[in-house]
Amino acid sequence: MKHEALLWLLILVPAATGALALLLRSVRTILGAMCAGVGISVALGWYVAGKVLMSGPVSAGAEWLYLDALSAYNLGVMLLIYGLSSAYASVYFRVELREGHLTLKQARLFASLWCGALAAMTLVFISNNLGIMWVGIEATTLLTGFLICVHVTGESLEAMWKYILICSVGVAFAFMGTLLVGASAHGLGLRAPEVLLWTRLQAHAGSLNPACLKAAFIFLLVGYGTKAGLAPMHNWLPDAHSQAPAPVSAIFSGFMLNTALYCVMRYVPIVEAGTGNTGWGLRLLTGFGLISILVAAAFILFQHDLKRLLAYHSVEHIGIITLGVGLGGLGTFAALFHTLNHSLCKTLAFFAAGRLGQMFGTHDMRKLAGVMRVAPVWGMGLFGSLLALIGVAPFALFMSELQMLKAAVDKGAILALVLFLFGAGVVFVGALGHAIPLAWGKAASTVQPARAGTLETLLVVVPLVFLLVLGLWMPGPLQTALNAAADVIRHVSPALAGSPGGIMP
Amino acid sequence: MTDLILVLVVLTNLKLLGSSRLGASIRVVAAQGVMLGLLPVLAHVHELSLHFAALAVGTVALKGVVFPWLLFRALREAEVTREVEPYVAYITSILIGLAALAASFWLGGRLPVSTVEPSSLLVPSALFSILAGLFLIVARKRAVNQVLGFLVLENGIYTFGVGIVAETPFLVELGVLLDAFVAVFVMGIAVYHINREFDHIEVDRLDRLKG
Repeated sequence: MKHEALLWLLILVPAATGALALLLRSVRTILGAMCAGVGISVALGWYVAGKVLMSGPVSAGAEWLYLDALSAYNLGVMLLIYGLSSAYASVYFRVELREGHLTLKQARLFASLWCGALAAMTLVFISNNLGIMWVGIEATTLLTGFLICVHVTGESLEAMWKYILICSVGVAFAFMGTLLVGASAHGLGLRAPEVLLWTRLQAHAGSLNPACLKAAFIFLLVGYGTKAGLAPMHNWLPDAHSQAPAPVSAIFSGFMLNTALYCVMRYVPIVEAGTGNTGWGLRLLTGFGLISILVAAAFILFQHDLKRLLAYHSVEHIGIITLGVGLGGLGTFAALFHTLNHSLCKTLAFFAAGRLGQMFGTHDMRKLAGVMRVAPVWGMGLFGSLLALIGVAPFALFMSELQMLKAAVDKGAILALVLFLFGAGVVFVGALGHAIPLAWGKAASTVQPARAGTLETLLVVVPLVFLLVLGLWMPGPLQTALNAAADVIRHVSPALAGSPGGIMP
Repeated sequence: MTDLILVLVVLTNLKLLGSSRLGASIRVVAAQGVMLGLLPVLAHVHELSLHFAALAVGTVALKGVVFPWLLFRALREAEVTREVEPYVAYITSILIGLAALAASFWLGGRLPVSTVEPSSLLVPSALFSILAGLFLIVARKRAVNQVLGFLVLENGIYTFGVGIVAETPFLVELGVLLDAFVAVFVMGIAVYHINREFDHIEVDRLDRLKG
């Protein structure tokens, strides 16, 4: 009973905060209220997620709300990113306020949409009904649209238009897929309120219509893949990421893409069981993952804008996660681990890019040089996160990519292995070529060095230390959580999942 | 009766492909929305429940009244000429539309759905709406026209939903309708901002972001 109420609160708290932000009269109060609301959500969400990871799924509202290991893990990571980004947003917008770039109206708009987007993403994770999950994804698209153009300029409007239109069309395809999944359950005689419930479909996956399910999965993969930024449907992504204010880019890259990918992961066990465990769906995922890695690698070489560079890194890493799920086995575990690592790392990178952009007045990497001397803290944040992103040991991203290579070898997927290594190699060389002058090049003398406050230093140091520690040592509870979440995708029954014989990295 | 509506939907799509006036296009899409709103009622006429009636009223009100109102307002505030300004000429558009229609019938026959459909025209006409909507989004310059294309695409998926999953839960349908409403609302505001910033609503000049 208690947990049921908590599931409802998880949506209500951010929604109420968003509404409250519209009524407040000073920018500082608005930012404070926003951080408080997000903070409460984080505390609640982590508590519920922890319960679920320790003692099994909870559901509420006649099974319409449901949290299992997979959604609890994703919810936990999402809230971590949201909490960090909210703290950063208050730092970032205080600077804008001081320089007179932020009006009260803009602050209200930002805070209410920011909290609204949190509510919508939470809805995606806690809904058991696949239709409502879709509604949540579409709602995030529409709510975050205006976050891109908090500052209305020609470029930001262009980015927002492309984002809304491309993602809405893509997500419409995902709805078509959801309908087809519903149609594939036609012979089962489920009652109307049950027909799209994930738990029911999962339980009856073997008796769904396979041809219908295959058509559905293609629509779902293209639809949610558009929102997740998988190549070749990624065209909106670099524009939106480069034009949005830095905290918004951090959320976009840090977890909105993963939210859409989570929806695909939800369907994987159903499609696998429904098509007779032939690995048909997994092969599709592997293909999309590899294409994304290679396309991103090609574009990373020729970027001049720092935030666009980071955006293409997102395409690459979403590709890596998709590849991991496609490989299955240890790959699924590595993919979920990589989700956490990439989100943390990319959030930090966008934080640094945003603050450095404010100091230099540009994101053009030809003018943005010598950041280590101008702003040691944020410079270290940017350089460290870029190194981690391209997979330098001993950061955690290196470890999860290594596990993925092992999964590919185990499975004998040599072609995937070679293409992945090739793509990662190109990214390594290309991004390092950008990163070194960025860190130690000759800075333009006009730029004023800025000192970072305690909060700013913490925002840099904590994620970096976290990534470093996770790279060297994996805590037991995290490993259990990852295994439990991976077992949902791999469709292992909960009785087996808890046993120590699960797959160890 | 359902067949009649579906044929009309196909014809409205063709009309849209050949239409040169934005105002007329908005009205055609509104008419299409109203007809589709009535579709579930007619398809389930023997088991008419409050569920279908409420849904029909909601759909007709949104697609027939609210959406056109929002779009006309965006158009008025943007004060643009009322031409559609196509990338692809009207005659070519209609010819492509006919090809898409043929493809829809071919694909509709092959799609492995065990339909609860009341009509064999349902799946092909739904697919045709989806294709026509996509074409309108890609082949027209006006931002308003892209919104119309999105609505036609949405209508196609709606038709599909009526035909193959009769038992979609009410709450889900409500959420979907709400999302469509917010989408058009947001796009309407975006059109207004784009017009203020660029003095036009032609998306082909939204080309500053590249690479």
